[in-house]
Amino acid sequence: MKPHRQPLVYLLMTLPGVLFLLVAFIAPVVVMLSSSFLTQTSQGIDLPITFSNYWRVIDTPLYGHVIWITLRISLYTTLLALFVGFPIAMVIARGGPFYSRLAIIIVVAPLVVSVVIRTYGWSLLLANNKSGVLNWTLAHLGFGPIATHLMYTETAVVLGSLHVFLPMMVLPLSSAIARVNPAVEEAAGTLGANGWRLLWYIMLPLCKPGILAGASVVFSLTAASFVTPAILGGSYALMLGNLVEQQILAVYDWPFGSALAVVMVLLIYGVNGLAGWAFDSKHLPRASRGLALRRAPRLRGSLS
Amino acid sequence: MNERIYGPIKQILNGMALLAMLFVLAPLLISLAISLSPGPFATFPPTGITLAWYAKILHSRDFLASLGLSFGLAMVSTFIALLVGVPASLAIVRGRGLPGMALVEALLLSPLLLPVLITGLSLLQFTAWTGISNTLVNMSIGYVVVIIPYIIRTVVTSLKLVNYSLEEAARTLGASALVAFMKVTLIQIAPGIMAGALFAFMISLDNLTISIWFTNAEINPLPIYMMKRMDSVFDPSIAAMSGVMLLVGTCVVLLLERLVGLRRSMGI
Repeated sequence: MKPHRQPLVYLLMTLPGVLFLLVAFIAPVVVMLSSSFLTQTSQGIDLPITFSNYWRVIDTPLYGHVIWITLRISLYTTLLALFVGFPIAMVIARGGPFYSRLAIIIVVAPLVVSVVIRTYGWSLLLANNKSGVLNWTLAHLGFGPIATHLMYTETAVVLGSLHVFLPMMVLPLSSAIARVNPAVEEAAGTLGANGWRLLWYIMLPLCKPGILAGASVVFSLTAASFVTPAILGGSYALMLGNLVEQQILAVYDWPFGSALAVVMVLLIYGVNGLAGWAFDSKHLPRASRGLALRRAPRLRGSLS
Repeated sequence: MNERIYGPIKQILNGMALLAMLFVLAPLLISLAISLSPGPFATFPPTGITLAWYAKILHSRDFLASLGLSFGLAMVSTFIALLVGVPASLAIVRGRGLPGMALVEALLLSPLLLPVLITGLSLLQFTAWTGISNTLVNMSIGYVVVIIPYIIRTVVTSLKLVNYSLEEAARTLGASALVAFMKVTLIQIAPGIMAGALFAFMISLDNLTISIWFTNAEINPLPIYMMKRMDSVFDPSIAAMSGVMLLVGTCVVLLLERLVGLRRSMGI
């Protein structure tokens, strides 16, 4: 189909992109990585090479606390996204023509709306005074004038992140569901499985690759988020991204900020690796492998 | 979902999906409602209907400057990324199997492996180190890095669907390589390129995690401008800005649906 007539031409066509990314992406990452091993002095960033920035991350309780909050918020967001996203994905993949079309438009449309705008909407919804939408509604239902104080809490950040990253769960899930052969559902039904058993023992295991892909993307994006915790979390639900920004733009400690950034990336890959290992059915006994013999697709682009 | 097989579960799933869709729409609808409220503060419930806040921001020099800046940066970055990405995608698809091509492809997609916030931070340190201090240039470089992988992915996907024998047929019938490519292949991948470009454009337009590192008092792309205003201004003007951007977003979604179909562009 494709002739290898001009290998040189093909390599030349990729040259601008390759050179650009080598200079504008790979080199900066190397610079950041090396600066995390240096020290900030009054003259600038200087030698000697040291691990002290990383020790400071491990050694200071505050930073450990922020890492813990980051992990917790990301985990809750991921689980909620799975719970909220699965019904929508079912509708997209198996619903009637009108409902499924509506569902996909509603899921995809927010993707093109700025995170700042969506988060602003949440700040109006959750506002801690009587004119917040949630409080106003609850007051009219008889729950007292100011029933909730959700702004500037982890709950607010989880809700905001769930809203921002839900499409990243729904899209892989619905393509996984769409790939399940309807005959399998038909067969299970014929053999007497009711709806619950069908979902739990047939659909869920068959969709495992989609679930893992979605969960990995949602977790990774939430753990690296900056806007949502900055607006909805305030100083009470600070995440790693906000800490990095503070260290770089306010404290001006670039080596330490870089070390925090490296820690964030390692954390994300660590959790992803761990989850990948835990859910890989290879090391489980044969009986518990279920139907999900396909391995999760290798994730490319889980972080953008 | 098949009623006969799923039984009552079908209704439960449908109901949950409906609630989830309300959850998705709620914050967007709320800011739209509040943008139309005449009251001096962004509070619920809206007290009436007015377009005064839209009029106000459309006369605000700062807002228009930020909007213009964001559009300009997004257009320039998308254009550069297309210029670099489309030929590279062509080479990736047609030259698959050539020595080094897998590595090239991995490199071109590599920005996806790092959170955008961190990509921006590393670029900040790099530009400070090399002394490239033009804010606009630095922001555009950052945007291009972030969107190249998206362009490559969409264009590669649509190129894979193109039947190469059609181009060969054109060559056999006497068309030159360039004409055959333009009139046969390029036409077929044009919707894919447009979809990729639209996505890249929106990603740049909405970008905050690159801009945050380079912004200063004068140069504020729209998301940065809005976030700064949120700390100091409590009237519905920010809701009105959201309304303007929602309109832009809606146009893009409709365009995507028209061009390639949402389902296909999302890979379902």
